[in-house]
Amino acid sequence: MLANRDPCTLNVFEKYMAKGIIRLCYRKIIDAASQKLWDKYVFDDTYQEFFMQAQYYNQQGKYSTFQELLDNVPNADRLHHLISSAAIGYIRQLNQLIPDIANQTGKLCLPFSQFNFEIIQSHVQKKPDHRVAISFYSDELTWIDTINTMLLIAYGQQQEALREGKAIATDLISLQPYLSISSYQPIVSHPVL
Amino acid sequence: MERKEFLKRGFGSLLGIATVAPLVGGCSKTEVDPTTTTGTTTSTGSTNGSSSSNCSVTPSETEGPFPTKSPANFVRKDIRDDRTGVAFTVNITIKNASSSCAALSGALVDIWHCDKDGYYSEYGGSGMQSVNLTTVDFLRGRQTTDANGLVSFTSIFPGWYSGRAPHIHVHIYNSSGKSLLVTQIAFPYDITNTVYTTAQSYGYTKGAQDTKNENDNVFSDGFTTELATVAGSLSGGYTLTHTIVVNA
Repeated sequence: MLANRDPCTLNVFEKYMAKGIIRLCYRKIIDAASQKLWDKYVFDDTYQEFFMQAQYYNQQGKYSTFQELLDNVPNADRLHHLISSAAIGYIRQLNQLIPDIANQTGKLCLPFSQFNFEIIQSHVQKKPDHRVAISFYSDELTWIDTINTMLLIAYGQQQEALREGKAIATDLISLQPYLSISSYQPIVSHPVL
Repeated sequence: MERKEFLKRGFGSLLGIATVAPLVGGCSKTEVDPTTTTGTTTSTGSTNGSSSSNCSVTPSETEGPFPTKSPANFVRKDIRDDRTGVAFTVNITIKNASSSCAALSGALVDIWHCDKDGYYSEYGGSGMQSVNLTTVDFLRGRQTTDANGLVSFTSIFPGWYSGRAPHIHVHIYNSSGKSLLVTQIAFPYDITNTVYTTAQSYGYTKGAQDTKNENDNVFSDGFTTELATVAGSLSGGYTLTHTIVVNA
């Protein structure tokens, strides 16, 4: 089908193509210095859960840090998942909007349904050493263009609407620390018939 | 786009605009975390905006609903989630050896066991994979003992997996989370054999267990104090009753 197309028509199609379908990933670090109430709840409750569950992998009390457990006790890496149970109630309270990352008008805007919880470090006696990260993976976004250090995006897969010349709702997201593009899917050109 | 989504994403809905504070300058933050100085105490707020690499727009609105304290996902009586099988009630009484085996109230009791096919809830592998918000964490629960030292769980009759006799894992903590005992509960063979050889219509299709308590590497050193009382039927469900003694 592509072979039959007029080269000029092809250029018109490409002009309105987005750069690709992406997912953004925001890795939120939570530690003893965290200030927001949500962060403090996650910090307190995941530490309490770590304190409790780590005892299963440390029944002789030989180890102090999470790293020591990982290095010496089989299956201690299950603690990531076990401790995430203490955070998921709070993650569900976010109403599927990635925290902290605002659009250019200052509003939280990125929908998510996938996340990953990890213990960065912890200590069975020293709560201030506890540090966790939650990576929030946005739902699919159509990356239309880049303006300075901002991504012009639309929510969901909008390549069809763009091809058809329709106006679509967009948003501007600043690139910033701990915000990354975690997946990219090229948009394959198909002619509009 | 549906209205609900439209509001959620905040494309300047009327409600959204009403909550935005007036801008003082074009690039001013509409809300900053406070830096409070009272007497000699300084509480430092957000460092956002302190450098070009630490410069992102501060959210202008309250971040979703005000967070509320939320217990761990497995603090629950019904631990089945999506698992099916023969109905099973687990009643465990915790007693305290340090007070002549009086009932221990306020103890936290974690239990976990495999499903009818012998599988445990996923542990999330290496911790690198993302999971969905709606992910279930089946057949794991936590309850707090009542005045009689009792906790009760609603579950399904566990299956078996190669090399182990059927069992339930139990971890008991005091009310502040300090570990008191890690143990396992063993099942009477006649009951498990009935379930595994006659409950095909409930999904127990593996047949008889390959390891009896006597040959199990956990229970073989003697399991009389770990052996539960189990009674019931396939159609009516089974009830496990067991007492565990800890030093609290």
